[in-house]
Amino acid sequence: MTERTAHPPPEHSLPDGFLAVRAAEGDEDAFAVLVQRHGRPLLALARGMLGNPQDAEEAVQDAFVSAWRRLPEFRHTAEFRTWMYRITVNRCLAARRRRRPPSLPLDTAPEPAAGDVRSQPAPCAEQDAAVAALSRALDGLQTGQRLCWILREVQGLSYKEIAHMTRTSEQTVRGRLFRARRSLQEAMSPWR
Amino acid sequence: MALDDARARPATPARPPAGTPPFAGDEVLPCGRLLSRVWEQARDAAPAADPHTVSCPHCREAVEALATLDAATRALRAVDAAAHHALAGRVMNTVRTEVRLGRLLPVADPDQDLRMTERAAARVLRAAADAVPGARTASCRLAPEGADAGVRVTMTLAAAPDRPLPDRAGEVRRSVLHSAGQDLGLALTAIDITVVDLLTPDPPPHPGPASGAVR
Repeated sequence: MTERTAHPPPEHSLPDGFLAVRAAEGDEDAFAVLVQRHGRPLLALARGMLGNPQDAEEAVQDAFVSAWRRLPEFRHTAEFRTWMYRITVNRCLAARRRRRPPSLPLDTAPEPAAGDVRSQPAPCAEQDAAVAALSRALDGLQTGQRLCWILREVQGLSYKEIAHMTRTSEQTVRGRLFRARRSLQEAMSPWR
Repeated sequence: MALDDARARPATPARPPAGTPPFAGDEVLPCGRLLSRVWEQARDAAPAADPHTVSCPHCREAVEALATLDAATRALRAVDAAAHHALAGRVMNTVRTEVRLGRLLPVADPDQDLRMTERAAARVLRAAADAVPGARTASCRLAPEGADAGVRVTMTLAAAPDRPLPDRAGEVRRSVLHSAGQDLGLALTAIDITVVDLLTPDPPPHPGPASGAVR
């Protein structure tokens, strides 16, 4: 039975916890709202972790499908979002382990052209190149630093949430974040 | 998770004594502030929270050094809407091939020996409960009960606190009972309702996109 009821869908106003309960009981429409709500930040997370859009999309897709299958066992002790982040991060880490050695040696990375940045031809291409440089710099970070930086700067999570998610202390999170910022800032300095 | 360097260090005062940087690789700026703290403040605190960092050229320079990184970070954060849409479509295509049907329930028509899946029935009964203003369903489980094609419903919901809960629960019960009989042909033996959360009252009709009617 896949026909729709005549009632307007109330799912969009429901909190994640309610949607997760409904989805666990087989309500795909509830799950579709969760995918809609969390897909974009998870894609940004995976792109930061993996460096390229195709791998990121694959990791997030796998994570959502895995979440759908595991929802009946989800005990709601964590928020759905936190749970989903964990699944996605684990998918990304697995994808990185599979694709050793690193895809792009540092010395083949294009360098920014010398001179006044504002006089460069295409700002869009310039920005793409800067993002590519950032992705490479991220790729060179230790896993914990990369993850903390992405969760803070790309996802906007609090130190507390990051500590909880990565099972460490807030102080460790702040230390990793600092070292990540320092490395990334140095790597990006030729682009000023 | 393969996380590294888990050496926690003691909490950092805003201005620790020079020479004791709290993080490996930290740096004391000429003004005495730690680079790590200046960066954290630039991110986490309101711009005018600390008059020193606003006026200090060393702190300003340290914050400005992040500008290029910030620009690239903003671009990294911007996920293409089309990519997200396509991803959501692929996920839901897979999900819809893996339906969870739940239990098989007897329809109250003993001659025909009809059965209906719990998933299909729950969809209709959730909608019936949600049609009551100030009620939103979370769980809706159904199970056969008794010998005469009876079905017991167990629901959890959030209810707005603008009316006594028993009144609203009664209204939900009536709506569910009516729908079960009229729309599905199920003979309910009981409807157990647990209110697990409170809603703020429903917003006025035609609300904006951020019409979260919860908590």
